[in-house]
Amino acid sequence: MGDKLVLALAGNPNAGKTTIFNALTGARQHVGNWPGVTVEKKEGSLKHKGRSVHVVDLPGTYSLTAFSLEEIIARNFIVDEGPDIVINVVDASNLERNLYLTVQLLEMGCKLVIALNMIDVASSKGIDINIQELAELFGAPVIATNGKRGVGLEDLLDTTLSEAANPDSQKDLLSLNYGIEIEEELEKVELELQKAGFHDTFLSNRWLSIKLLEADAEISKKIHSHPDHSRIFDQVDKSRKHLSGIFGDSPEILLADARYGFISGAVKVSVKVERKDRVDISQQIDRALTDRFLGPIILLAVLYSVYMVTFQGSEPLVKYFELFFKWLSGVVSELLPEGLLKSLIVSGIIDGVGGVLGFTPLIAFMFLTIAILEDTGYMARIAFMLDRVLKGFGLHGASMLALMVSGGIAGGCAVPGIMATRTMKEPKERLVTILVAPLMNCGAKLPVYALLIGAFFSGSKASIMFLLTIISWGLALLAGKIIRSTVLKGPSAPFVLELPPYRIPTFKGLIIHTWERTWMYVRKAGTSILAVSIVIWAMMTFPDMPEERQKYFDDQLSRATDIFLKEPGVGDYFASYQDIEAFEDYQKHFEGKKRKELEKSNPRFASLAIAMEGTSSTVRSKAEVEAATLSTAQNYLNFKKSRLMLESEKQREKLRHTVGGRFGTALEYVTKPLGFDWRTNVALVGGFAAKEVVVSTLGTAYSLGEIDPEQAGDLSEQLRNEPGWNPLMAFTLIMFVMLYAPCFVTLVVIRRETGKWRWTFFAMIYTTTLAYCVAFIVRSVGLFLGLGV
Amino acid sequence: MSPRTSKKRCYCCPSLHQRKCLATNTVKLSSYKPGQKGKIVQICGDSDFRLRMMEMGFVNGADIEVVKYAPLNDPMEFIIKGYHVTLRKEQAADILMNEPEKAA
Repeated sequence: MGDKLVLALAGNPNAGKTTIFNALTGARQHVGNWPGVTVEKKEGSLKHKGRSVHVVDLPGTYSLTAFSLEEIIARNFIVDEGPDIVINVVDASNLERNLYLTVQLLEMGCKLVIALNMIDVASSKGIDINIQELAELFGAPVIATNGKRGVGLEDLLDTTLSEAANPDSQKDLLSLNYGIEIEEELEKVELELQKAGFHDTFLSNRWLSIKLLEADAEISKKIHSHPDHSRIFDQVDKSRKHLSGIFGDSPEILLADARYGFISGAVKVSVKVERKDRVDISQQIDRALTDRFLGPIILLAVLYSVYMVTFQGSEPLVKYFELFFKWLSGVVSELLPEGLLKSLIVSGIIDGVGGVLGFTPLIAFMFLTIAILEDTGYMARIAFMLDRVLKGFGLHGASMLALMVSGGIAGGCAVPGIMATRTMKEPKERLVTILVAPLMNCGAKLPVYALLIGAFFSGSKASIMFLLTIISWGLALLAGKIIRSTVLKGPSAPFVLELPPYRIPTFKGLIIHTWERTWMYVRKAGTSILAVSIVIWAMMTFPDMPEERQKYFDDQLSRATDIFLKEPGVGDYFASYQDIEAFEDYQKHFEGKKRKELEKSNPRFASLAIAMEGTSSTVRSKAEVEAATLSTAQNYLNFKKSRLMLESEKQREKLRHTVGGRFGTALEYVTKPLGFDWRTNVALVGGFAAKEVVVSTLGTAYSLGEIDPEQAGDLSEQLRNEPGWNPLMAFTLIMFVMLYAPCFVTLVVIRRETGKWRWTFFAMIYTTTLAYCVAFIVRSVGLFLGLGV
Repeated sequence: MSPRTSKKRCYCCPSLHQRKCLATNTVKLSSYKPGQKGKIVQICGDSDFRLRMMEMGFVNGADIEVVKYAPLNDPMEFIIKGYHVTLRKEQAADILMNEPEKAA
């Protein structure tokens, strides 16, 4: 980072770390992923008194034991990148547990500034903290802050910068005395490290010894790469055995105990609690929200209102977006000459990407509601109330969060959801969660649902969405139960979850949360979906129809034209094909103000056009039109109709001839019982790249296959008018899309998280089988009930 | 690599095989009723579980108050060290407590 100071923010979940991060960096922040993993990495920059600072928000953790992915990330960042200084955000109202991480950070040798956050909450609880005392005990500056109001942040930055600039400060590492026995063993291990010549630029040998005694997997791996490791490990094993022998407990527990001993000593000295008899509002709210009877009802109401807000709130914006893309493709098709390039840009890029981007407002509203649930603290209560249910299906409270992220409230993504399972320690439950997570309604499936619901169930959008959520949960749980009692048998693992106090979310926090996730969605649509759209477009364009077939269709068309022109009476109006085209154009403008004008300029065409209008409610009646004109009009209509049929037959054959068409056609043998034709099949194959591609591919398939691009309404409308499409077909397709093979990104993550191709293939095959069976049942039952005919 | 958990098991506390068992005159946390509070005497289970619990503040001698049970009677909610946390009954059964007293 050169001259820039690197500042890391560390702290427990729910300690207000994100609020402080937002307050410090404001809009100058961006979200990415930690290399190789999909945990959010938030970075930002700030300028304070002329100094530029690069701020990294580490994932919220309770410790640095390297139990969970978040802990490993936070620790590795400190170990590998060596930030200049760390701000440890500590919840003042919950000091003892928060200080455990502080002790671990200090032990690592981090230069630390402690932000004693939510100091207002603490004092309202009657907790009085002697800041001076605390700073002396921990050997690091302590600043009282209130991240929400921005109190103390100036001071925090001043202290942080001056501390970072001073090379002499915090030179003496906090060295806890673990007691004679443990210290002796630590010394022995340290000596072995020294003898082996082991030296780390940043980490002290003492810290490494502590970690080795704790049998820390990551550090052990690190030492293993050292040539002289065998003697070190001999000593470690000996020491561990010795200590367990004396204390009858494993060293990691003894060390943790000692840390807590130090903390509770420090807290006893520096904190005074004056019991105030005040009503805990959060607890009062909680009593109602998790009440035995009221709780579940409220839970359902909350989940339902998430949909109402998402769909109804975003409806006008979604409409505007659709109109914009329709306008854009209209403008572009006017500007560009007929040909491959136009087809690529309009049918490939605008229709494909626009189809996905058009749903951006919907996704944004969904993320907003999720952010509200998370930031208020209600999300944890959902897990609390539903754990008993999940447990019955061989899952877990933590699975709840993973499934939620995957799309338990429609709009998530299975990729971070699957990554979230890393916090789960029990391999079996974790694996089951990973395997069923792709069944949830992720954000990428939403556009597909929205399209089909919009086309066929527009009267009851929210209730259908609600139904889909229930179905996906039901099937995920059922699948979990089945997998858990067949492929993965075994007892269940512990469930420990903090229930943070209810808080009113900050507007800024909600906006930042929503914006970041929405932006990621847009970026994804803008890049990978663009590439996929082009590939799909190419698949559905090449190879072209063989020449003789093309000629055949052209001959047929011109023969039809010839026959029409030779009909008696037609000659009076049309001499050649050009006249027909001219009339088509004339007819298009034959309305409104222009009508009178056109009538005068070409009375012949006018009479024909009027005859064509037939019984429609025009000023003139049929009687005024001459019989000859009427018969020509009839001929013309018949001619148009046959031309239309020929054209669409040609287009269909053209599409069928392409790579995509052939593939989809081949699949028809399998998908026939589901009622999917080859175009749907191509869309489903495209959806393997990313589920939202189903929409863009349907868009491409139908806009390529139709006759007059200018008459195309939006895709929903088009599907509604397409033969074979009806509510039953739409619902069957929705079920199939919900359940079939996860997108390839998800599969890659499954491979990485389970470490086995076996489970990756299992995930792919079982989901598709499930999708097929469910779709088949839906269709059969529907047909049996006489629906969708 | 050295194992985290010891293989010898005591009937009540798997990792306390050589230590004087403290599990006398104790009550399981899972038997506490809402509103009751007490002190942790000993946490049973393998060291992974116990370490996790310690990181969350469950250390010997800590005060725990039971707030409530979830709508379906499981899991339970506690206040420990000033914050709220939830545990399943089966884990709460691994936490041995002294006799409960009524919370103030």
